[in-house]
Amino acid sequence: MSRPAKTHKVKMMEQQLAKKLTRQVVGSLVGCVHCGMCNDACHYVLAFPDDPKMTPSYKADQLRKLFKANFDWTGKAIPWWVGADKAPLTDDDLEVIKDISFGTCTNCRRCTLSCPMGVDTATLNRIMRGLLSHVGVMPEGVRVVSKDQWELGNQMGVLKEDYVDTLEWMSEELEEDLGHGEAAIPVDKAGAKIMYCINPREVKYDPRTIKEAALIFWAAGESWTMPSEGWDNTNFGLFSGDDGLGGVSARREYDKARQLGVEKIVISECGHGFRSTRCEGVNWAGEQQPVPMESAVMTMLRFIKEGRIKVDPTRNPERVTFHDSCNNARSCGFYEEPRELLKLVTMDFQEMYPNRAENYCCTGGGGAMSMSEYTPRRLESAKVKADQIRATGAKVVVTSCHNCVDGLSDLIKHYGLGCEVKQLVNLVANALVLDEVKEPEAVPAPAEIEVAPVAVASPLAGRKILVVDDEDDVRLFLTTVFEDAGAQVLTASDGDTAVAVAREHQPDLISLDLSMPGKDGVETFVELRRTPETEEIPVCVVTGHPEFRQVIYDRPVAPPEGYLGKPVDEDKLVAYAHHIIEHREAKVH
Amino acid sequence: MHDVSPALHTAEIIHWIALAVMAVVYSLRIRWLLSFNLARDRSVPGNPAQSNAKKGARHSLFNVAMPWSMESTRSRKGFGFYLSFVVFHLGVVAGIALAFVSTIAPDVLRIPAVATTMLALIVGAFLVALYRIARRLLRPLMRLISTPDDYFSLIMLTVWFGLGACTQAHLIGAWGMTSEAILIAYLYLTSFFLLYVPFSKISHYLYYPFTRIYIGRALGHRGSYPVVRGEEA
Repeated sequence: MSRPAKTHKVKMMEQQLAKKLTRQVVGSLVGCVHCGMCNDACHYVLAFPDDPKMTPSYKADQLRKLFKANFDWTGKAIPWWVGADKAPLTDDDLEVIKDISFGTCTNCRRCTLSCPMGVDTATLNRIMRGLLSHVGVMPEGVRVVSKDQWELGNQMGVLKEDYVDTLEWMSEELEEDLGHGEAAIPVDKAGAKIMYCINPREVKYDPRTIKEAALIFWAAGESWTMPSEGWDNTNFGLFSGDDGLGGVSARREYDKARQLGVEKIVISECGHGFRSTRCEGVNWAGEQQPVPMESAVMTMLRFIKEGRIKVDPTRNPERVTFHDSCNNARSCGFYEEPRELLKLVTMDFQEMYPNRAENYCCTGGGGAMSMSEYTPRRLESAKVKADQIRATGAKVVVTSCHNCVDGLSDLIKHYGLGCEVKQLVNLVANALVLDEVKEPEAVPAPAEIEVAPVAVASPLAGRKILVVDDEDDVRLFLTTVFEDAGAQVLTASDGDTAVAVAREHQPDLISLDLSMPGKDGVETFVELRRTPETEEIPVCVVTGHPEFRQVIYDRPVAPPEGYLGKPVDEDKLVAYAHHIIEHREAKVH
Repeated sequence: MHDVSPALHTAEIIHWIALAVMAVVYSLRIRWLLSFNLARDRSVPGNPAQSNAKKGARHSLFNVAMPWSMESTRSRKGFGFYLSFVVFHLGVVAGIALAFVSTIAPDVLRIPAVATTMLALIVGAFLVALYRIARRLLRPLMRLISTPDDYFSLIMLTVWFGLGACTQAHLIGAWGMTSEAILIAYLYLTSFFLLYVPFSKISHYLYYPFTRIYIGRALGHRGSYPVVRGEEA
């Protein structure tokens, strides 16, 4: 039977592959003896023992076949003898490989450590991803995120004004907390010692980590700044295999550091951000290290060791365990500092096994969190990680990676582990003893003048908020939280009612669940945006399904103003609602 | 040289020619591998207190002799596979030695200690090879990742081990192996083996030093290799 002719995309991939063949890559391509020793190292294999397609060597073979068909002596002469006859030829073949390469591997590199030949399977899989991305064959989430990073300079499409606005918001919160404005976040401060770069997830979903880092920098008396551009330490080129994107993204940070004249780049707690910026970025960008770079974990540890900040571990009494990010531990040798820091700021640290470079992936790495089509498989593959966590008996899983935060949060919920995920910056900020450090000179207030309360008791007083959720207990919880914050609350348990109530009552904010029977949250959101009377009402998505995040951001309407994952932290919910409403009013006026 | 029949003499000459051809093709193989650029890591050392490129490369190169170094060989199941790996590869070394020594100094192979060792190694490797065939045929995972080359290489080696054991028995006059044809067949199969190896998966041992040094150097530079483990639970 004759085989179909090669498509243009396949030919382009072959040309591109020739450019990626280094001696190390060729060694990994020809070195595999198909012994199957890598098998048990993979969390996908452990979760799907009856599916042989999960084995790492099979995933790497997708690239190996292409290589053998085009570059190997035997493969070119007798393709069927070495499996080169099964190299992709059609665009349909590429779709199948796309699902293997993106959907059954997180590029965690664990199998590499179990290969007797030293075959770097994760690198081969990343190359395959790069070839596929080169011809436009990739999951929709990867395409959207890559596009955002190319065009907007960060992988979550955060606009500069929103980024700066968030920094101002966090500065305001710090001022409220401390009673003075000395801890405000400096932006583009030339000559500062440290340029602090973050993950855009912090701006979009977890801005309090920025505030906590700012508090620690201020407490340590550090000269620091955040850049207005080149601030995204993450790099989707690592996940998509696109070295071009990798180089451009890394260079943005490096150029900004040079422009500001800083002495060091400090990378917030992000595994792939650390690896991309500190380790791989210089290779993709083709330059030497522009300035020294380190993780914020190292910075915080140094602050404590140098006596620049004081911490009280009794403030973190619960049992904690530590999850090593694959990118940090396996690919960058960064695993002792987090443990050292944890032992200084917590009371009960329990090691997880296996750990460090042999730790299992959180299952959210390799861009998996942006590929919602593979979510069920990803969660199933997380069983070994869930078992690891359960065995520690910890109430808090600490990790130094934002991807891991999302991946672990998902699996903790899925497997009902009953613990929460924190980062070291949360724990250090919580343990920080501020009265032991240099504080601004106190100005005694005259006795007759009353000092204004630091926190606003009813931050949502006078606001009208519509809570949309089909679950009675969640609706009651959100209603209580908002009412306690002074808001007037309206409720709706389905999409149609929500739209009707919103049209009639014109709330200041809509808290919207995504997973609802009948008209779901996504449809409801789109209808709200397309209805003239409701299109301007800000919406904060509150959902227990993070995998829907991409779905809603892909709609052809303006994105929601906020996004929170369940379970919701009460303070965070109120802070978000307050910020969204204030921000909207500022824009209107 | 020892006295041999014309048929055996021809087999021996072909055998040495095959060795020469293999050496040439291997040289070309290495030259081909070295024709690709060696990527250099521009990042500064990751965790110099823990490791470095040299230390990583050195440890990685000798990884084959350290079953405790990898999870895949440290577990009970993995250690069993490791032992079978050792037996299999020692059998390969013994089989090749048998072919060459039998053409130069066959009397050495008749020294009792040498004969017993050779026979034990080759028979052991033969049994492991049979197990490997069964493993590759019966496990869906192994079938999925196997190519005709994988099957052929393994079957060829199994036959080679079997014939090698008979050859060693012939040299010491055991098992009723009296016909010189066994030795001739073994030399021809070894010749084919030598000619086939550079084009097959069996050439992996040629690449082993390269792949192990590359990965060890890369991860050693980053500070994550040799692997550091926390105390066991």
